[in-house]
Amino acid sequence: MDCGKARELNLNELRGLLSSELAAELREHLSTCAPCRDHLEAERVLSEVLDARLPQLAAPLALKRRLAASWPASPSAARAPRRIGRPAWAAAMAMSVAAAGILVVVGSTAFLIQQRSELSQLEGETVNDHLRMLGGAPLAQVAGGLHEVKPWFGGKLDFAPAVRFAGNDDFPLKGGAVEPFLDRRAAVFVYKRRLHTASLFVVRGDGLAFPTSLRTRIVRGFSVALWKAGDQGYALVSDLNLPELLELQAEIALH
Amino acid sequence: MRHALAHADALYNFARWLARDPVEAEDLVQETYARALGAAKRFEPGTNLKAWLFRILRNASIDRRRRSQREGSLPYVEDPDADRELAEPALSELQLGQIRALVAEDVAAAVHALPESFRTVILLDLEGMTEAEVANVLGCAAGTVKSRLWRARAVLRDRLAAYRP
Repeated sequence: MDCGKARELNLNELRGLLSSELAAELREHLSTCAPCRDHLEAERVLSEVLDARLPQLAAPLALKRRLAASWPASPSAARAPRRIGRPAWAAAMAMSVAAAGILVVVGSTAFLIQQRSELSQLEGETVNDHLRMLGGAPLAQVAGGLHEVKPWFGGKLDFAPAVRFAGNDDFPLKGGAVEPFLDRRAAVFVYKRRLHTASLFVVRGDGLAFPTSLRTRIVRGFSVALWKAGDQGYALVSDLNLPELLELQAEIALH
Repeated sequence: MRHALAHADALYNFARWLARDPVEAEDLVQETYARALGAAKRFEPGTNLKAWLFRILRNASIDRRRRSQREGSLPYVEDPDADRELAEPALSELQLGQIRALVAEDVAAAVHALPESFRTVILLDLEGMTEAEVANVLGCAAGTVKSRLWRARAVLRDRLAAYRP
């Protein structure tokens, strides 16, 4: 086997897709070829980084509601649009939404329940909203810490976010924002850790499944922590590893 | 077909990497489902529904850009160099360490900066599609997918290794 062929096969070897004969042939080549071993390692690193770090953006709930409302129980029974241009489908969608009425709520709820549990829905929303923050959602910059951020929320929220952690050398506070979170507004506190960004979303907890004890998960490569304190729900998310995220969570919960 | 909505997240994610902004991505997903409804009779039960929906979405995206081109607002250009030969650089352990240390924003920026044909095969591959399924989405031969994915990954590795935040 030559180097060109070996490198062509390296990715499929990592994925376990080679026949046993081909895999043996490749391993024999790799045992004597350092550049091809380096190539295999480079493929492995790229796969790990893409799997763990490349953001996966879930569809917004509003879009899912629209899709659920416009999707018939039996697609084959639906009349095909005569022409699928933007005006045609947009009008079809709008008419469907208007006609569906209360069924929109029922249909979309059933759809969401089918898709994931309430907790995983919260986690998914947390990651989505974090990605929106990373994507450049407007952030109130702060030079003077928390006492500059909290007044900024005044008039923008119908609750006072109970957050007193003003950041420290390990987790400086970068700023704050008000962003949609499911069906309500969230106070967002953005902290940094080296080059990493962590977003803390604080919302009114009523009607949402925030756990009373801390729950942590890795969701689409992001570390996510959910908890509830008083009547407020907290969702903390970052691409930091879980232990580091928990350091930040402890600071927030302690203060 | 009744399971089509289960692919909404994956389709939206793909659309976000093809569209200019989130609004256009939502439009693309809605248009995809509308087209799927219109073409439901042509879908063969038992074949790959996800790949079929992805193909519809990609075609819708291309149609949009061609329309934009006609309207003079945004040129649509196929990547002329997508299948040219590429000299693959070797990466040092130091460079691999740099790649491991990248954060999500850096990785996303590098993927965004890829030519669209490269970005597309990377994303479809990450969706877990086989080369044959990706070929079905793109309407090309499986061999083309294989070589394009190989080149796309080489370019991405090179760019990530050279990335400076």
